[in-house]
Amino acid sequence: MTKMTQAPTPQQQTGILSTSATDGTRRRRRKALRLWSVTALAVLISFLLNLPLLNAINVSLKPDAQMNAPLSAPTTPTLEHYANALGAAGYDFPTFFLNSFLISLGTVGLILIITVPACYAGLRLQFAKGLVVTSIIGLRLLPAIFFAIPIYVLFMTTGLLDTVVGLVLANTLLNLPLAIVLLSSGINDLPQEIEEAARVDGASVYRILRAIVVPILAPTLVAVAVLTFLFSWNEYLFGLILSSTQSTPITVGAANFVTSYGIRWGDLSALTVLSSIVPLGFAIFAQRFLVSGMTVGAVKG
Amino acid sequence: MSATRASKARVSVAGSGARPGPRPGSSAGWILSSPLLVFVLGIVLFSVVYGVVLSLQHRTVFDPEVTWTGLRNFGHVLADRAFWQSSWFTIQYSVIVTVIEIVLGVALGLFFNRTFPGKRILFLATILPITIAPALIAVMFRLITNENIGAVPAILQNFGLDISLYSPGSVVPLLVVLDVVHWTPFVFLIVYSGLQSFPEEIREAARVDGASNWQITWRIVLPLIKPVLFAATFLRFVDTVRTFDVIYVLTGGGPGTATETISIYIFKKAFEDGNFGVAAAAGVIMLTVMLPFIPLLVRKLGRAEN
Repeated sequence: MTKMTQAPTPQQQTGILSTSATDGTRRRRRKALRLWSVTALAVLISFLLNLPLLNAINVSLKPDAQMNAPLSAPTTPTLEHYANALGAAGYDFPTFFLNSFLISLGTVGLILIITVPACYAGLRLQFAKGLVVTSIIGLRLLPAIFFAIPIYVLFMTTGLLDTVVGLVLANTLLNLPLAIVLLSSGINDLPQEIEEAARVDGASVYRILRAIVVPILAPTLVAVAVLTFLFSWNEYLFGLILSSTQSTPITVGAANFVTSYGIRWGDLSALTVLSSIVPLGFAIFAQRFLVSGMTVGAVKG
Repeated sequence: MSATRASKARVSVAGSGARPGPRPGSSAGWILSSPLLVFVLGIVLFSVVYGVVLSLQHRTVFDPEVTWTGLRNFGHVLADRAFWQSSWFTIQYSVIVTVIEIVLGVALGLFFNRTFPGKRILFLATILPITIAPALIAVMFRLITNENIGAVPAILQNFGLDISLYSPGSVVPLLVVLDVVHWTPFVFLIVYSGLQSFPEEIREAARVDGASNWQITWRIVLPLIKPVLFAATFLRFVDTVRTFDVIYVLTGGGPGTATETISIYIFKKAFEDGNFGVAAAAGVIMLTVMLPFIPLLVRKLGRAEN
């Protein structure tokens, strides 16, 4: 039990240290290599998935003279096509952008106004035992084209055809189920104690909803707003059917451009890239809400 | 003090949940629900009822006279070869696309379920396609597959392949690829979130017990995310069955009627042929087929509430 027998000799000690050091670095290096190869594969996958968009960006920056060399990057990048798409060439695209913006914003507003109080009434006040709210989730399944025909005839007779208001109503119909799924799950997650305490203190239902529920529910409301805006911005079928000249959204404008100005590839590319900027901005700056909204929307509804 | 108040509140909540009798503000339920009720009555129920009414009428754009025709429109649709052809195409297309997207989405989810350099930005890049409008993705796909300026034909030509991507033989695979590129990220997102929600300890414990990575994936991870997989499969299938935008913009249902989905069939009947009655009848048939699936969806939320 002496100190001498326990401690290894200096030589042994350095030997152990040096082998473990090289082992360690080798293992670390191998691990780093494995990690970076995962990264490399992920880069490749995300590149392939975004190829349509990257290609459109590439084409949009090319001068017309370079169009017939599909696999080349623009040698002298030009913003001419973007200027054209934004009005320099006399297209109606600025109007289409404005229409899409108004339609999406209007839909977000209408969705929040009609779903937030109704979800609260259905789930917390047990209005109609929550059946009104939950049964609307079934709409998620129904084909939009089925609704398109009666709504077209309705709008034709009421003068809502080719108006922003008409498209707001149509988009509200489409986004109703998702909004209700998200709000229901948000309201169910709220602790009832706070509301009960407020009620005991004499607050009215409306006050509780306005001063307590809505502020706590803010993240869910943002998720609903982000997804509703995104899906309304991206909507095509109702835009195609219900608009002709006054309320054409950008998706319809871009798709029509293909058939009417087929060969102006640069302008077309710039237009599709511009129309995707709003959704892409949401993905980048509101990723949290987008991800939580889509996940909850899928799993709970 | 606050603890007793909270527990008292919980008791009163449980009590009021059990008996749905009059509560302070039972009129508030009506008032708060009224905007939704107005919308549902005015747009949703109206559309459903009016859609059924239209399906029983002879109603075209060219003929101002509207007459009742009973079930003749349904007979017309059911005897129409194009209707069955589009139904068959829609089902085949939906099954193939859903299966591929689920397999790839799950693989991608498992692949991302680890830490590696640059993960945050690559995750964002991977889910980016979801945010782009189907109609715009279709336009972008037209750009990349165009025989004069597209990168894909150019690459194929480098390999000596000179095929027309929009010929009857290759247009369906083209559409499948497009949908897979667009929506695999959605499946990935759902699966990945599901994977994140169960604790790493389960996996660790299995590893300690000597399970291989493969066994852990098949026997533990996938069974645990079964509800998530079910939801993703269900949504992808339902959404592909309703597909309109992408295919309409890319091929218009052509060449001929080779890529006509049911939605495109109904659209053309209504807005190209101008025959609202027949289109509405086809819509009612499509609706009827999908109705049985609704309880599946609604019950799922009910379960989440309990």
